[in-house]
Amino acid sequence: MKTAALVGILLLPFLSLVAEETPTITIRKGEGVNLSLQSIGGADGAAVSKVLKNDLELAAWFSMVDAGKGGYVVSGNTTGGVLEGKVVDRGGSTVLSKTYRGSARDNAHHFTNDIVETLTGNKGMATSKIAFVSTHSGKKEIYMADYDGANVNQLTRDGVISVSPALSPDARKLAYTGYQSGYADIYLIELGSGARNRIVKFPGTNSGASFSPDGGRIAAMVSKDGNPELYVISLGIMGAHRLTHSRGAESSPSWSPDGKEIVYCSDDAGSPQLYRIPSGGGNPSRVQTGHNYCTEPDWSPDGKRIAFNVRGGGGFSIAILDTQNGSTRVVGSGNAENPTWGPDSRHILYSNGSGLILLDVPTGHTTNIVSGLGKVTEPTWSR
Amino acid sequence: MKNLLTLLCVVSLAFTVSCANKKKNQYAGVDGDYVNGTPLADRTEGSSFFSDHVAKGEYAPVYFGFDSFTVSENEMGTIDKVASALKGTSKTIIVAGFTDERGTEEYNRSLGERRAEAVRQALIGKGVSAGKIQTVSFGKEMPADSGSGDAAWAKNRRVEFGVVK
Repeated sequence: MKTAALVGILLLPFLSLVAEETPTITIRKGEGVNLSLQSIGGADGAAVSKVLKNDLELAAWFSMVDAGKGGYVVSGNTTGGVLEGKVVDRGGSTVLSKTYRGSARDNAHHFTNDIVETLTGNKGMATSKIAFVSTHSGKKEIYMADYDGANVNQLTRDGVISVSPALSPDARKLAYTGYQSGYADIYLIELGSGARNRIVKFPGTNSGASFSPDGGRIAAMVSKDGNPELYVISLGIMGAHRLTHSRGAESSPSWSPDGKEIVYCSDDAGSPQLYRIPSGGGNPSRVQTGHNYCTEPDWSPDGKRIAFNVRGGGGFSIAILDTQNGSTRVVGSGNAENPTWGPDSRHILYSNGSGLILLDVPTGHTTNIVSGLGKVTEPTWSR
Repeated sequence: MKNLLTLLCVVSLAFTVSCANKKKNQYAGVDGDYVNGTPLADRTEGSSFFSDHVAKGEYAPVYFGFDSFTVSENEMGTIDKVASALKGTSKTIIVAGFTDERGTEEYNRSLGERRAEAVRQALIGKGVSAGKIQTVSFGKEMPADSGSGDAAWAKNRRVEFGVVK
């Protein structure tokens, strides 16, 4: 009896702590924060409403409910490129009130990101950009679009083979592999000015560029030493530092969000497997996945997961490795190649061969983002 | 004299063993200064593999197994033929690696390059100067057979030779 009372006293602080934290945890897991969207008033109201509705639905953190059914209420007014956005809670208190200046689409995207950040504490994806390879023109060329597939824009007109695009985290630069010289070289486009430079042109094949989180370096496959190896190349001074030393073929580097490590694919052990290596040089370590064919790793921006391709069951599917507990699970179904994480570390974009699919990892919900552009492959996503 | 020979044998044996160990460790991908072969010579640009300056089809392609970059014994006849032709001239050659359609694009680009480098190394092994060989990988682009299935895939896992005119 005395012991039971003691245990009760000891447990009491824990119980109250759990009770206090529960609402926060519920919101962050995104089990549906109730949200109703009032139609946006003003001259550009319809255009903003349409984009806002799509953004909030794709974000997947919210359960969209009818007005008056509780939850947070999103409202706004827009004219002449100015959007006054507002969110009030069920008690009528304003939790977000902000003015946005820009196009209807940009204003809606920025407002969405603020809503996501305010109500869930997570980074939004609504202002991000994607790039991909399309055969629409008859040759493989690089295209760009908004994250939702709008504003598709053909970036290269090389007429040769332009592949393996990589957007810098800030979406200001794009690196890709082009064959204009007859060999595979890495080109860098400054998206603001359109200036393009061939930045990696060693003898042999140069491909698979991946930007460091600070955007100042790229990791890539370079074969100048007589074998495909990974290098880290500084964009400012153009120094190239060799990372791997194996007799196999390395490919597809992806940086950890702190920039300290790189995950990549190597077939040095016979079949393609994932390895991690310090980005400043050091010994690689094999990533245990439970799959014997793993390619195209992509490290999530929050560092917690690595998405990659696995082979099996007659096709290629996407697997996700939890970097904290080491477990791996296969997500999605059908032909799914080249997974790339969105800025929210919740969504993955992948190619099903003919188009790009947005996958919401927690729910498994998929949305067609790009289609009707021939063969669409190798997506990349800014932060 | 006999003692000296014995000593030499022992020393060379020990040396061989230590080399083998060293190689094994380095093959496992451990950091070191192991260079996997002969570095590539500087490029001579302006002769794209698919341009008119490059004669293709003079030699049969070298074929590979699934996911493999090993030049099999069956293919050494082709290697010998290309090697002896190159040794007699000042011509240079582009060795282009290709893969079948299965698997992701970038992995196949790397695998195609690894195949091209394996053929290049075999040519160097037959006495061809490294300065005469350039490599390029097209991954799964431009298959020799656009079909799907084992027969088409076997034709597409290849290295082609292009003689620069």
